[in-house]
Amino acid sequence: MEAEIKTTNDNCNKIMQLALDAGTVLLSNGAEIWRVEDTISHICKAYQVDDVDAFILSNAIFITGNNDKEAVFAKVKHIPLSGVHLGIVTEVNDLSRHISAGKYTLEEASTKLEEIRKRPAKNPFYRALASGIGAGCFCYILKASVTESLLTVVIGAMVLLFSLWAEKHSFPKLVKNILGGGMIALLALAATYIPFKTGVSVDKMIIGAIMPLIPGVAFVNSIREIANTDFLSGTVRMLDTIMVFMYIAIGASTVLSLYHGLLGGGF
Amino acid sequence: MEVLTSLICAFFGTLGFTILFNVHRRFYICCGFTGMAGWAAYLAVSQFTTAPIASLAGALVVVFLSRYFAVWKRCPITVFLVAGIFPLIPGSSVYYTAYYLVTNSLELAAQNGIQAIKIAFAIVVGIVFVLSIPKEFFGLCCRKKEGTHLK
Repeated sequence: MEAEIKTTNDNCNKIMQLALDAGTVLLSNGAEIWRVEDTISHICKAYQVDDVDAFILSNAIFITGNNDKEAVFAKVKHIPLSGVHLGIVTEVNDLSRHISAGKYTLEEASTKLEEIRKRPAKNPFYRALASGIGAGCFCYILKASVTESLLTVVIGAMVLLFSLWAEKHSFPKLVKNILGGGMIALLALAATYIPFKTGVSVDKMIIGAIMPLIPGVAFVNSIREIANTDFLSGTVRMLDTIMVFMYIAIGASTVLSLYHGLLGGGF
Repeated sequence: MEVLTSLICAFFGTLGFTILFNVHRRFYICCGFTGMAGWAAYLAVSQFTTAPIASLAGALVVVFLSRYFAVWKRCPITVFLVAGIFPLIPGSSVYYTAYYLVTNSLELAAQNGIQAIKIAFAIVVGIVFVLSIPKEFFGLCCRKKEGTHLK
């Protein structure tokens, strides 16, 4: 009897750990709060751990599990902000649905989760190309000329490479975005010195090229969390978005006004 | 013709950002289409009204399509929503606000700043409005219903 209780407790620990890991992977890759909550409770329910409470903030998970008499599992996990990888979010979501359907044993699920967690981001040059195309296309739909759009493709790609490099060397967000914004403005100004038949305007190139730096996932998630009455996480993420916007704009406009002041400004 | 190239660019621009967020390859077409449809709605409505109202229309289309695709492809709605909303983000207003602030043209800065806030609010309203439609409605659009992760 004694031994049996012990194994169930042991098992319960493993299940809770799996649920916590899944939640961590989701949260650090840009999932919403309610999705993390849902996934944790689904995994626990699928393996018959019924009494679970999870409290989730935008950068932490608090989770406890009980059996009839006592708490068997309690853990607080801090999750630092990191990059966005929606592919991982999709796969953990699929995994959780398969667990709910009873397709995986506990061990299989753990290995699968570990596999998903280690999935690398796409090749940096491929991403830089994508970022350039995105920036160039958005520049074009804001009624820029073809020349400006093509220049923006180059600037957008270079900015993404810079931002990946800065993330790799763990620059703070403030430095990364101000430098990124400044770099965009510098490159755009440099582009005006290339002699084209028709002149190019700096504004549209900058607006297109800042797009890859904008934290789109944080912006959309913050709105949805506020709509979901997760006000705390929603405001934190909203503030994060606004700050990043400000940093980029400060970086770009400082370079522009310096250029104005020092060289008299040719635009 | 101009509208057509603009739409094609919206498609590929959205696609670019989809790749940037490491979305799986099987969602590319749907993501691009979401962005294109949102931009089309924005362009169509902006003929008659101001930018914020047009952004609201664009956001409504984007979120509606995102929810539909999320149920159909059975994946998180974030995948489509984030990429689709990108063309509507008031990047230019925010940029001009900061630029005029630094160059000390405060009146223009205030004008652009309020414009940015209005557009952002329109997007918020669009997202919240469509997200509060009960999910059974989207279940009806697709025959397959399974699991609870449809939203």
